[in-house]
Amino acid sequence: MTQEELKALTVDKSVDARGTSCPGPLLAAKKAIGQIEKGQIMEVLSADEGTKRDIPKWCTKKGYEYLGTVEESGYFKIYLRK
Amino acid sequence: MANKKLCLALFSGSVDKLTAAGVILGGAAAEDMDVEIFVLLQAAFAFKKENALTNERVAEITDKKDEFLASLKRLEAPHWTEAFKTAKEMTNVKIHICGFAGKVWNGYKIDDFIDLADDIVGIGEYMTAAEEADINLFI
Repeated sequence: MTQEELKALTVDKSVDARGTSCPGPLLAAKKAIGQIEKGQIMEVLSADEGTKRDIPKWCTKKGYEYLGTVEESGYFKIYLRK
Repeated sequence: MANKKLCLALFSGSVDKLTAAGVILGGAAAEDMDVEIFVLLQAAFAFKKENALTNERVAEITDKKDEFLASLKRLEAPHWTEAFKTAKEMTNVKIHICGFAGKVWNGYKIDDFIDLADDIVGIGEYMTAAEEADINLFI
Protein backbone atom coordinates (compact mmCIF):
# COMPACT_ATOMS: atom_id res chain seq x y z
CA MET A 1 0.00 0.00 0.00
CA THR A 2 1.16 3.56 -0.60
CA GLN A 3 1.82 5.96 2.26
CA GLU A 4 -1.36 7.84 1.35
CA GLU A 5 -3.41 4.65 1.40
CA LEU A 6 -1.94 3.65 4.77
CA LYS A 7 -2.68 7.07 6.25
CA ALA A 8 -6.25 6.88 4.98
CA LEU A 9 -6.93 3.49 6.60
CA THR A 10 -9.63 3.17 9.21
CA VAL A 11 -8.15 0.98 11.91
CA ASP A 12 -10.14 -1.34 14.13
CA LYS A 13 -7.51 -1.50 16.85
CA SER A 14 -4.62 0.80 17.75
CA VAL A 15 -1.81 -0.36 20.02
CA ASP A 16 0.49 2.29 21.49
CA ALA A 17 3.75 0.56 22.44
CA ARG A 18 5.97 3.64 22.21
CA GLY A 19 6.99 3.38 25.83
CA THR A 20 8.46 -0.10 25.50
CA SER A 21 11.60 -1.65 24.09
CA CYS A 22 11.95 -4.98 22.30
CA PRO A 23 10.13 -7.33 22.74
CA GLY A 24 7.46 -5.01 24.19
CA PRO A 25 5.88 -3.84 20.91
CA LEU A 26 5.74 -7.37 19.54
CA LEU A 27 4.14 -8.68 22.71
CA ALA A 28 1.68 -5.78 22.72
CA ALA A 29 0.73 -6.68 19.14
CA LYS A 30 0.37 -10.34 20.09
CA LYS A 31 -1.96 -9.47 22.98
CA ALA A 32 -4.06 -7.09 20.90
CA ILE A 33 -4.47 -9.28 17.83
CA GLY A 34 -6.72 -11.55 19.85
CA GLN A 35 -9.15 -8.68 20.32
CA ILE A 36 -9.94 -8.19 16.62
CA GLU A 37 -11.66 -10.34 14.04
CA LYS A 38 -10.18 -11.85 10.91
CA GLY A 39 -10.08 -9.20 8.19
CA GLN A 40 -9.88 -6.29 10.63
CA ILE A 41 -6.99 -3.84 10.65
CA MET A 42 -4.63 -3.04 13.50
CA GLU A 43 -1.95 -0.39 13.83
CA VAL A 44 1.04 -0.67 16.16
CA LEU A 45 2.78 2.51 17.31
CA SER A 46 6.42 1.95 18.22
CA ALA A 47 9.62 3.91 18.69
CA ASP A 48 11.75 0.76 18.84
CA GLU A 49 13.63 0.40 15.56
CA GLY A 50 13.61 -3.41 15.64
CA THR A 51 9.82 -3.47 15.51
CA LYS A 52 9.92 -2.43 11.84
CA ARG A 53 11.33 -5.84 10.98
CA ASP A 54 9.74 -7.85 13.78
CA ILE A 55 6.11 -7.15 12.93
CA PRO A 56 6.34 -7.98 9.18
CA LYS A 57 8.13 -11.26 9.95
CA TRP A 58 5.66 -12.06 12.72
CA CYS A 59 2.79 -11.40 10.28
CA THR A 60 4.29 -13.83 7.76
CA LYS A 61 4.69 -16.55 10.39
CA LYS A 62 1.23 -16.08 11.88
CA GLY A 63 -0.65 -15.68 8.60
CA TYR A 64 -1.51 -11.99 8.95
CA GLU A 65 -1.13 -9.45 6.15
CA TYR A 66 1.50 -6.77 6.71
CA LEU A 67 0.22 -3.62 5.02
CA GLY A 68 3.07 -1.16 5.54
CA THR A 69 4.77 1.33 7.82
CA VAL A 70 4.33 5.08 8.14
CA GLU A 71 7.11 7.18 9.66
CA GLU A 72 6.09 9.83 12.15
CA SER A 73 8.22 12.19 14.21
CA GLY A 74 10.17 10.00 16.66
CA TYR A 75 8.06 6.90 16.10
CA PHE A 76 6.30 4.93 13.38
CA LYS A 77 2.98 3.23 12.71
CA ILE A 78 2.85 -0.33 11.43
CA TYR A 79 -0.35 -1.57 9.80
CA LEU A 80 -1.54 -5.13 9.46
CA ARG A 81 -4.70 -7.03 8.61
CA LYS A 82 -5.63 -10.10 10.64
CA MET B 1 0.07 -27.48 12.92
CA ALA B 2 1.95 -28.23 16.15
CA ASN B 3 3.72 -25.39 17.88
CA LYS B 4 7.47 -25.16 17.45
CA LYS B 5 9.53 -26.03 20.50
CA LEU B 6 12.30 -24.05 22.18
CA CYS B 7 14.54 -25.73 24.73
CA LEU B 8 16.58 -23.35 26.87
CA ALA B 9 19.37 -24.60 29.12
CA LEU B 10 19.64 -21.66 31.49
CA PHE B 11 22.97 -21.83 33.33
CA SER B 12 23.59 -18.19 34.13
CA GLY B 13 22.44 -16.58 37.35
CA SER B 14 23.41 -13.08 36.23
CA VAL B 15 20.92 -10.33 35.53
CA ASP B 16 22.36 -9.46 32.12
CA LYS B 17 21.99 -12.97 30.75
CA LEU B 18 18.66 -13.54 32.47
CA THR B 19 17.39 -10.32 30.88
CA ALA B 20 18.53 -11.56 27.48
CA ALA B 21 16.74 -14.83 28.14
CA GLY B 22 13.60 -12.85 28.97
CA VAL B 23 13.78 -11.02 25.63
CA ILE B 24 14.12 -14.31 23.75
CA LEU B 25 11.20 -15.74 25.71
CA GLY B 26 9.17 -12.73 24.57
CA GLY B 27 9.94 -13.61 20.97
CA ALA B 28 8.97 -17.22 21.60
CA ALA B 29 5.72 -16.11 23.23
CA ALA B 30 4.85 -13.89 20.28
CA GLU B 31 5.18 -16.91 18.01
CA ASP B 32 3.25 -19.26 20.31
CA MET B 33 6.21 -21.56 20.75
CA ASP B 34 6.24 -24.24 23.43
CA VAL B 35 9.17 -23.52 25.72
CA GLU B 36 10.99 -25.73 28.18
CA ILE B 37 13.52 -24.04 30.44
CA PHE B 38 16.01 -26.02 32.48
CA VAL B 39 17.45 -24.01 35.35
CA LEU B 40 21.02 -25.23 35.80
CA LEU B 41 23.70 -24.48 38.39
CA GLN B 42 24.13 -20.70 38.74
CA ALA B 43 20.64 -19.96 37.44
CA ALA B 44 19.21 -21.94 40.36
CA PHE B 45 20.75 -19.31 42.67
CA ALA B 46 18.84 -16.58 40.85
CA PHE B 47 15.61 -18.57 41.05
CA LYS B 48 15.79 -18.93 44.84
CA LYS B 49 12.99 -16.94 46.49
CA GLU B 50 15.40 -14.87 48.57
CA ASN B 51 17.62 -14.00 45.59
CA ALA B 52 15.38 -13.37 42.58
CA LEU B 53 14.69 -9.69 43.18
CA THR B 54 17.84 -8.73 45.06
CA ASN B 55 20.47 -10.40 42.86
CA GLU B 56 22.23 -7.75 40.74
CA ARG B 57 25.24 -9.73 39.57
CA VAL B 58 26.24 -9.36 35.93
CA ALA B 59 28.36 -11.78 33.91
CA GLU B 60 29.82 -9.52 31.26
CA ILE B 61 31.30 -6.01 31.15
CA THR B 62 31.21 -6.05 34.93
CA ASP B 63 32.95 -2.67 35.24
CA LYS B 64 29.84 -1.09 33.63
CA LYS B 65 27.36 -2.85 35.88
CA ASP B 66 25.93 0.37 37.36
CA GLU B 67 25.47 1.90 33.91
CA PHE B 68 23.84 -1.28 32.65
CA LEU B 69 21.38 -1.51 35.54
CA ALA B 70 20.58 2.20 35.28
CA SER B 71 19.88 1.79 31.57
CA LEU B 72 17.44 -1.03 32.23
CA LYS B 73 15.56 1.31 34.58
CA ARG B 74 15.71 4.23 32.14
CA LEU B 75 14.28 2.04 29.38
CA GLU B 76 11.64 0.71 31.79
CA ALA B 77 12.71 -2.79 30.86
CA PRO B 78 10.80 -5.33 32.91
CA HIS B 79 12.78 -7.26 35.52
CA TRP B 80 13.70 -10.66 34.14
CA THR B 81 11.18 -12.33 36.45
CA GLU B 82 8.44 -10.16 34.93
CA ALA B 83 9.56 -11.01 31.40
CA PHE B 84 9.48 -14.71 32.24
CA LYS B 85 6.04 -14.29 33.84
CA THR B 86 4.68 -12.50 30.77
CA ALA B 87 5.96 -15.29 28.52
CA LYS B 88 4.33 -17.88 30.77
CA GLU B 89 1.03 -16.03 30.51
CA MET B 90 1.20 -15.85 26.73
CA THR B 91 2.44 -19.24 25.70
CA ASN B 92 3.22 -22.70 27.06
CA VAL B 93 6.38 -22.25 29.16
CA LYS B 94 7.57 -24.85 31.65
CA ILE B 95 10.40 -24.01 34.00
CA HIS B 96 12.26 -26.95 35.50
CA ILE B 97 14.80 -26.66 38.29
CA CYS B 98 17.71 -29.10 38.00
CA GLY B 99 17.69 -31.16 41.19
CA PHE B 100 21.47 -31.04 41.54
CA ALA B 101 21.57 -27.28 40.94
CA GLY B 102 18.88 -26.75 43.53
CA LYS B 103 20.83 -28.66 46.15
CA VAL B 104 24.00 -26.67 45.40
CA TRP B 105 22.11 -23.59 46.60
CA ASN B 106 20.25 -25.36 49.41
CA GLY B 107 17.04 -25.57 47.46
CA TYR B 108 15.48 -28.96 48.05
CA LYS B 109 11.78 -28.31 47.43
CA ILE B 110 9.96 -26.45 44.66
CA ASP B 111 8.74 -24.02 47.34
CA ASP B 112 12.34 -22.88 47.83
CA PHE B 113 12.15 -21.28 44.38
CA ILE B 114 10.06 -18.47 42.92
CA ASP B 115 6.55 -19.32 41.78
CA LEU B 116 7.60 -19.27 38.12
CA ALA B 117 9.32 -22.62 38.63
CA ASP B 118 7.10 -25.60 37.88
CA ASP B 119 9.05 -28.57 39.19
CA ILE B 120 12.40 -30.13 40.06
CA VAL B 121 13.76 -32.61 37.52
CA GLY B 122 16.78 -34.70 36.56
CA ILE B 123 18.94 -34.45 33.47
CA GLY B 124 16.88 -37.07 31.63
CA GLU B 125 14.06 -34.57 31.26
CA TYR B 126 16.46 -32.11 29.67
CA MET B 127 17.83 -34.67 27.24
CA THR B 128 14.33 -35.60 26.07
CA ALA B 129 13.30 -31.95 25.66
CA ALA B 130 16.52 -31.11 23.82
CA GLU B 131 16.01 -34.00 21.42
CA GLU B 132 12.46 -32.91 20.64
CA ALA B 133 13.12 -29.16 20.34
CA ASP B 134 13.28 -27.19 17.09
CA ILE B 135 15.61 -24.67 18.74
CA ASN B 136 18.14 -25.37 21.49
CA LEU B 137 19.83 -22.57 23.42
CA PHE B 138 22.37 -22.49 26.22
CA ILE B 139 22.59 -19.23 28.15
